[in-house]
This record gives sequence, structure tokens and C-alpha cells, in this order.
Amino acid sequence: MSWFSKGPNDGGAAKAAARERAAAADARGAAWEAALDRNDLPAFVKQRLNEASAGTVPWLSTMTPAELLLARSHGVRPLATVTATCWYQYGFSWTQGHAAGWRTALERLRQEAIACGANAVVDVKMRTVRLEAGASMDYTLVGTAVRFERLGPSTDPVIATVPALEFVRLLEAGVVPTGLAVGACYEWLPDYNGNLSGYFGVNQPLNTLSGFWERIRRMAHADLREDAGRQGNGVLAHTHFGQLIMQEGGERQPNQYLGRHIVIGTVVQVERGQGVPHGIRSVVDMRDELSPLANSGRSRSSGAMASEREGAI
Amino acid sequence: MSATNDIPAHALERLKGLRSQGHPGGIFTSDFSVNEFLLVRKAGFEPVGLCVGSCIYHVGIQYGSWSKNQEMDVLSQAMYHARELAMSRMREEAADMGADGVVGVRLEVKRLEWDANVLEFLAIGTGVVHAAGHTTFKGPKGQPFTSDLSGQDFWTLLQAGYRPLEMVMGSCVYHVAHRSMFKAMGTVGQNVELTNFSQALYDAREIAMERMQAEAIEAGAEGVVGVDLHEGSHSWQPHIIEFFAVGTAVMPITTEKDASVIPDPQLVLSVNS
Repeated sequence: MSWFSKGPNDGGAAKAAARERAAAADARGAAWEAALDRNDLPAFVKQRLNEASAGTVPWLSTMTPAELLLARSHGVRPLATVTATCWYQYGFSWTQGHAAGWRTALERLRQEAIACGANAVVDVKMRTVRLEAGASMDYTLVGTAVRFERLGPSTDPVIATVPALEFVRLLEAGVVPTGLAVGACYEWLPDYNGNLSGYFGVNQPLNTLSGFWERIRRMAHADLREDAGRQGNGVLAHTHFGQLIMQEGGERQPNQYLGRHIVIGTVVQVERGQGVPHGIRSVVDMRDELSPLANSGRSRSSGAMASEREGAI
Repeated sequence: MSATNDIPAHALERLKGLRSQGHPGGIFTSDFSVNEFLLVRKAGFEPVGLCVGSCIYHVGIQYGSWSKNQEMDVLSQAMYHARELAMSRMREEAADMGADGVVGVRLEVKRLEWDANVLEFLAIGTGVVHAAGHTTFKGPKGQPFTSDLSGQDFWTLLQAGYRPLEMVMGSCVYHVAHRSMFKAMGTVGQNVELTNFSQALYDAREIAMERMQAEAIEAGAEGVVGVDLHEGSHSWQPHIIEFFAVGTAVMPITTEKDASVIPDPQLVLSVNS
């Protein structure tokens, strides 16, 4: 553990070494602060990534051995693990805060990828570190920067949320995953007449509330499309999180409804109307837990309550 | 051989950092996974956008009589009507974006926290169009077809020579009678069937299925695939249960394929697990 060695053990020299370490830590902190201010990376991060790009340090990759096999057989070389973090406080809006946090993190990840001369970042995972810190949250992206052997470094590397295995398969089908898009929308609806939740005892669709909620969802999707349009021409595999909340009013205040919806998905660039080159053979997998013989007739729709399954983004 | 040759030129261009300008076909959004997306394309369809329909519904009140097996028709109607509204709104959105159909529909019910009688019904799926512009892949009455099959199942269904028409459903909310104290005393310690309970569950399930079948007949279907029957209670009294049947009504693509021309699936045993 050479990076943890304590150095000289006698009084004066030990103190000097401790002072040195403290100064180095301060300098590191200052470098981060200055870099985040400038929308840039600190010099030591750039250096690590440049060295990874040149191949003078061992590469780091989140790939499994199976993925590494496929990546190598397709001329893909892992360079470095790249990460981006943005701790963001949502002041006036939880919804917009989420969108801004992820968008900032994505921009930072792209910077790291450029610094190591990558063509793509694959296996990008969204993470958050949970700490009790008021109305704020961590938005972190982690992935593996890769380069295609016969291509030069890219000025605009693609960010793929799919693992290396799927990344190569998508490329062969003419689909390039290019980034992450976020769409968010929230709105308030005051209940002046006090009848938005309907009258007691009778079956009735709540049309005003339905319309309000549907509009929010559609606006979140429109926002998603707009964000995606900057990076590609389609969005896949999105997850969404929405909440409709009632806030009780006071004496002169009507009840208010808050609807908020957020969607996050993978952006792809794809030639429309092109087929898929891979042949498909239908197989029946005989592993017990996967066999369709054991799980027949399972459909994805459920008439059951969904609230327990829905997770926060 | 270099494998980069297998990757189409436009994909390589993008990896070099060159962006194609403008997106003539517009931007699609879909909750398809990568595999689903590839298989839907392989089946000859392209996603156009996510279609959502929702309906927030105030469910009326109905009390079952303590000792009687009976359908709670107010509740049955509410559950059915609200789902139908959510589905038709989703179908409308699909028609607006020019989709031939909606694949991967999920139908969900959520409780809203401020009022136990208010439920949110949500239908959500991906609108698709036929890539070669065939216009006959539609549901009943020229409306977009709807299906709760995943992208993988959609491909497989087409391979089997069928196409989806419409998601059909039936619901029945049923009050299961309580047993009278006197009757319960009479069977203490015995192994007996409680026929009134059996009967109630049987009947309710039967009604839900019959209603689904009636919808399939109306849609002009040959059959219904992926039928799912489940039971649920939505914050009602403990003896009130909803039986819900849902599936995708299908019909042969032109004339029914002979079984001998449909390729047999191969059995495999994966070694990497």
C-alpha cells in the first residue's frame, strides 16, 4: 500500500510531511473549485485521462470478461473509467432541479471523454449517493470510455447507457446511442370551486384533473423530445416518475394540486426504415428460471396497484 | 477481417464526432428496451412515439349485503369505464401521431393519497408505424391496434402468422358473502368445502372472462393471446374483490399459416449461467 505510506517517523520531518500533505489536499480542493467554476476539469484529472488515452497507464473498465471479448473482437479498446458528479440543490422546483442536475453531470462526463480522446462512453450508469443534505441531491454518472481502433479521437463522443455487449449490437444494426435526455414538467392547479375530486358516492370521471395531469405528462415528454433533439433522433428505454399531490388549503386558500413528472431516457441516432441485419432464430431457453414453459402467459400489463413498484429517479 | 467493417458508415461517422444535421423524421420516444426496439424494427415496424392516456376517476360507493354473493355493479362499471377512458385517450393520441398501432401497452391503477375513492388509471405504450407503409395493419374500425405484448412477443406473434387487433378486457367486482355465525359453528373442526366461497370466486372470474370474450367477438378476433386473470382489491372492504381479465385479441394476417411453414423453435440450454 505504497500510496498510504506514512513517510518519516521522527518528530520534525513527520510534521513537515503532514504540513505538505495538508497543503497538497488544499491545492487539490482549490483546483476542483476553480475547474468547476470554469466548466473544466482539474489538471490532475486531465493528466490521468491523457495518459489513459496514450496507453501509458493500465486501462480501467467496468466491462465484464464477456463484454471485453466482444468489444475486442469488434475493435473496441477500453481506455478509462470516467465519472461525473453534480450535487444540485432544488430550490423553487424539485422537477426542474432533477433535470438540471442530470444535464450538468452529462456535460461533465462528455468533457472527461474528450480529455481521454474517446469515441464513446459505454455502460453509463446513473447513481446517487444518499446523504441527508436538505433539498439537494447527488447526480453521478459512471462509465467506461472506449476508442475504436481505426478511428481517431472524437470531438463529440457519444454517451451510451447500454453495456458494451449491447452497444456493439446496436452499432451493427445502425443505431448509435448518443446520450441521455431528461424531460421534466410541474404545475399547480388551484381548486377554486372545491369539486375537482368529485362528489361523494357517485361514479364519475374527473375530467379537469385528468386533463391537467395528462397535460403535465405530455409537456414532460415534449421537453424530453426537445432535449433529445440536441443529441439524436430518438429516445429509448425511458423510465418515468410522476406524482400528483394534493395540498390542503387554508381558511381563504383553496386546495391545490401539484402534478410533477420527470422522464429520463437513452438518446439514439438511427436511420429510419432500415431493417436489422441480424438473423433471428427462435429458441426456447431450458434454464429453469427463464424457461417460458415455467412462465407462460405473463404479460406486462397489470390491473394491480402500481404505486409500490414505481421507484424514484 | 476487421469487425469495424460490419458497422454501417453513418454509425462510424457519428463515432468520429460528426453529427448529421436535422432530423427529417422527427424525434421518437419510447420505453422500449434495446432488444424490444431491435425486434420491433426486425418485424418491419418503426416506433413513432410514446402514447399515454390517463383517467382520474372518482369511484362511487356501494355496500354489499353481509350474507350475499353478489356483483358490485357500481364498482364493476367504474373500474371498466375508467380503464376504457384511459385506453381510448391513448388510442386517440396514437391516431393523432399517425401510428398504425400501439405495442407494449401497460395498464395500471394507482391510488391517490388524498382520497381513497379516487383512482388513477394509466394506459401507456409505444405507437408504431409499418416501415414499408402498409396501411392494413390496423385495429377494428381503422383505429390503431393496441396490444400488451412486448416487442419480442410482437415479433413472435407476427412470425406465427397472427396480427394484434385490440387489447380486450373484462372486469367484475364481486362481494363474497360472509358466513353466518350459525353455519360457521356447524362446521367447526371439519374438513369441508365452503361452497359459497368457491362459488363466488368461480362466478366472478367467469363473468370477467365472458366480458373479455364478448369484446374479442366484437373486435372480430380469431382468438386472444396472453390472457391474464388476476384478482385485486382497491382499498375496499375485505370481502370485495376485483377480477380482471386482459389479453390481446388477434387474427390471422391474411389466411391462416399452415403449422408446417412456421419454424420450430430450437431448444437451447445456455451455459453462461
